[in-house]
Amino acid sequence: MDKLANRLKEDADRIEVTVSENLDYRIQASLQGVTPEGEARPRRERARPLGFWWASSLTGIAAAAAVIVIMNMQQSEEPPAVQPVDVVATVPAFDLKAETAALTNPLQQELVNLQADIKKAEEKVKKDIGL
Amino acid sequence: MKAAQAGSADAFADLVLSYRDRLLRFLLTRCATHADAEDALQDTLINAFRYIRSYDARWRFSTWLYRIAINNASRQQTPEVVELGELRDEEGDPLLQCIGVSETENLWVTARRLLNDEVYAAMWLRYAEDMSVNDISLALDRSVSWTKVNLMRGRRALDAGMNGSNKESKAYGQTG
Repeated sequence: MDKLANRLKEDADRIEVTVSENLDYRIQASLQGVTPEGEARPRRERARPLGFWWASSLTGIAAAAAVIVIMNMQQSEEPPAVQPVDVVATVPAFDLKAETAALTNPLQQELVNLQADIKKAEEKVKKDIGL
Repeated sequence: MKAAQAGSADAFADLVLSYRDRLLRFLLTRCATHADAEDALQDTLINAFRYIRSYDARWRFSTWLYRIAINNASRQQTPEVVELGELRDEEGDPLLQCIGVSETENLWVTARRLLNDEVYAAMWLRYAEDMSVNDISLALDRSVSWTKVNLMRGRRALDAGMNGSNKESKAYGQTG
């Protein structure tokens, strides 16, 4: 403890005070007339009756069962089965007549032959449709 | 303690017997007159007994009592009382009446002149009652850091006051 702290302690001890008999009597008399607070604090409310717990339990169980049933019903509604469709049957058939070109000559000659074939085909088509 | 909490006034009186003189000594340094200090002590003990059931055992009992005493002392310092206190002469000062004759001024008289009420109380609890900083902060309802800082400032102010300088006291807001 340092010098200042010592001095403060000593000077506090030099303050001589005692509770007088008169004050002691007053204090005792005052205390007799006081009742500690908190004594009359109401007790906690009693637990709810047993029937309440049964009712709440049954309500909870019923609600859970209802949820389960609804979920199961929704799961049983399966989507309608899709019938297999014959895609080939639905598509109209085209009569394709194709001939393979025999590429035996040089390319320039082949091109000329092909153009001549196209021209013949055009004329044939025009003739068929009456133009 | 249990008997006091059960409502026994006699048990409570026994419980506080060792604290009464110390509390009165502290209150004498805070009140304008001896009668005020005695009234404050009486109120403190009555309030302590009334609320004994709310006492938290984590607190030291003395800390709890001092907190009530400080509140009672503050309540007594109404403007009217302060005016009366300012008018009193030194012979009527209850603190001076209780101090034995000495060549040097009692440091607590110096402290009362230089420090404000809260810092004075902190200094008293620390150096006259050997209370810990934590307990002082509880008693004053202040933070630990506030208590530490103001104890340090209080010491500086007292040092300065003892050396005849009054500069430090203004840092506290001491108006008296």
